[in-house]
Amino acid sequence: MSSTMEKTIVREGDNKTLLMDQGNLPAKQLKQDFKMVTFSLGGKDYGIDIMKVKEIAKFNQFTYVPNTPPFVRGVYNLRGEIISIIDLRIFFHLPVEKRKDGVENGLILRLEDYIIGIIVDSIDKVVGIASEDVQPPHPIFGDINVKYISGVVEYNGTLYLILDVEKLFGKEQTAQKAPSLETLEVSLGAKPSVGVSPRESFPTGQTEKDFIRETLKTFKSFHVTPLNERWLDERFEQWRSERGKQGRDLQIKSAEEADDFLQTFYSPYSDAVWPEEIAESFLELIQELSGRVFSVWNPGCGKGYETYSVTALFLKKFPDAVVKVWAMDNDLLAISTAPNLLFQPETIPSYLLPYTVKGKQGVGITTQLKDRIFFEYHDILHVNVVPECDLIVARDLLSFLSPADQAKVLDEFYDKLKPKGILILGKNEEPIDGIKWVRIPNKHFSAFRKNIE
Amino acid sequence: MKTKMDFPAINDRRPEGLKEDGTPYRVLIVDDSMFVTKQIGQILTSEGFEIAGIASDGQEAIDKYKELYPNVDLVTMDITMPKMDGVTALEKIMEFDKNAKVVMISALGKQDLVKKSLLLGAKNYIVKPLDRKKVLERIVMSLKK
Amino acid sequence: MRVEYINPFVESAYSVLKEVLNCQVSRGELYLKSTCTPVLGVAALVGLAGDVEGRILFDMSKDTAIKVASVMNGEELKELDDLGKATITELANMITAQAVTKLHDLGFKFDLTPPAIFTGDNMEVTTAEVEALIVPMIIPYGKVEINVAIRERI
Repeated sequence: MSSTMEKTIVREGDNKTLLMDQGNLPAKQLKQDFKMVTFSLGGKDYGIDIMKVKEIAKFNQFTYVPNTPPFVRGVYNLRGEIISIIDLRIFFHLPVEKRKDGVENGLILRLEDYIIGIIVDSIDKVVGIASEDVQPPHPIFGDINVKYISGVVEYNGTLYLILDVEKLFGKEQTAQKAPSLETLEVSLGAKPSVGVSPRESFPTGQTEKDFIRETLKTFKSFHVTPLNERWLDERFEQWRSERGKQGRDLQIKSAEEADDFLQTFYSPYSDAVWPEEIAESFLELIQELSGRVFSVWNPGCGKGYETYSVTALFLKKFPDAVVKVWAMDNDLLAISTAPNLLFQPETIPSYLLPYTVKGKQGVGITTQLKDRIFFEYHDILHVNVVPECDLIVARDLLSFLSPADQAKVLDEFYDKLKPKGILILGKNEEPIDGIKWVRIPNKHFSAFRKNIE
Repeated sequence: MKTKMDFPAINDRRPEGLKEDGTPYRVLIVDDSMFVTKQIGQILTSEGFEIAGIASDGQEAIDKYKELYPNVDLVTMDITMPKMDGVTALEKIMEFDKNAKVVMISALGKQDLVKKSLLLGAKNYIVKPLDRKKVLERIVMSLKK
Repeated sequence: MRVEYINPFVESAYSVLKEVLNCQVSRGELYLKSTCTPVLGVAALVGLAGDVEGRILFDMSKDTAIKVASVMNGEELKELDDLGKATITELANMITAQAVTKLHDLGFKFDLTPPAIFTGDNMEVTTAEVEALIVPMIIPYGKVEINVAIRERI
């Protein structure tokens, strides 16, 4: 799946700027960094930056406003807020199909200064592209004025014209063409009232959830699949009511907001040593394991807190056994610090204490424990060289892989795990293929066994 | 090869490669790399040494040494070579001639290798990359031992 | 690849290149590549043995190889002849040996095999079952990619 394109990009290294052939970087490094909602207008396909789209809407009742240009179909009550609805087809002098049921397809846009609704022929889908694939517009591409097109891009064989909605509806433009919203409100004598429940049909939660799924993917490379869908559904409801109470809209517009949303997803103590209570649950889990030599695979171990906790606990439970742990991560910075990880003396739980040693800069781990761990800089999507495992600890790892990779890695976990082995996923993760795995009830861990009789 | 900086000043100093009677010291260079033998050769000949021969593996080194003996004053010996490595060759040459002067020249600087070589009888150990000054100093020192 | 192995290779590459070429050397971002390794034109290969098995590949274009060999020999080479090849091979040998020495001091017992050099277009060097760490080194004569594939003996 590696790209065959030769590209020269500028990268930072050691505070010097250098050139590097992109050559054979894996495809996922060419990120889809732009998402757009696509729709059709006058027979052509357009797209609008998803960040500018508040929601998809079906308009069936406008309040007509006199003395406005023909493209202003009227105003619309969006949950208490009065917004203008502009029919883009009339605006651009395109043919308009009169709909039988009187329901029009539209988008509510969130522009810099205000909210506005637009009517189009039909809404298609959300599409992700790489912003470097966007070409500058050429008059030949569209029949609407080229200055409103910020670029063109091809996706799956279709050419999309990206509308620059700020240019289209920015204050300057509409001042000449349409009355300001304040004027509209005044002429209507309308005031936003919180209690108004609109009779018009509103977009269902489904589309908003889809938007959130897309933005999670964009900002955090977090992919929603049956692996974590249960969590998402719950979280979405929670988020919706939280946001509603705060009077903020649902959409995730930045990496920080995505982080907020994901807060309830993460397993506890991912980046810290496991406290006694968690340790107890873990000991309970592994007590079923038997043997004299244990192999543990810990992909996505990050800085190594999890790894040290697991290894020390294994030694506590099976003091006479040989334990070998393969811990890996593709975050070079995090994994490089793992072999020399230092701890705060107050945070060290009893099971780890015997393996700690005071150094000049803090408390470190003794070689007695460290010798059992191989910390590796490794990409789990590459060939995994680990022996048959008694335990695989992969918390909050799969959710950050594409759906196809999630399945591939889960299969690999299945193949590499011994028949009586245990798989530990993130607190809010469960295997996609429910049939192959059986959940092991445990207070703190999302643990599974292979489903073989 | 850093030659620009440390060429000897033009004066009456006798080139390092000449014995007191004016004849040159004869050196056997052992290394499997054409580049290294050329490099060492250039350093030595610029100081008047004579290259008695070149060998590219341990076995050839032993054979050549026996051939040249007693008209060989010093051997420079690489370690990582095919067929027979330099440490084994060193051992065998010392067996043949307990007064042989062998200087190890290797890219490897592992302590245990250095120790082993010196214990086996090597006069010195030079770690690559080569520095003209360092090479000459160590070789001259070894010849005097 | 075990994290402890990374720095010795990066440091040795930097140190040897700087000393031998006496030029500006900078390092690109490290990354991982899976097994199939297309080659830029000239590849010097050094094998590793001991506690681990694997190899290091020094990958560069023919043009870069000629320039580097020329600098190292103090004379301008017009093509990559036997002397040029021996020079590049020796460069690979020195970088690997220095890294192995450092690793030895850290407690990891590696050994290296005599190097080999391959030239050609569209070459692919495949090491079964190992992913490779790429350390791109940028010098005025072009880019040298150091491609390290090491596997623990389980």
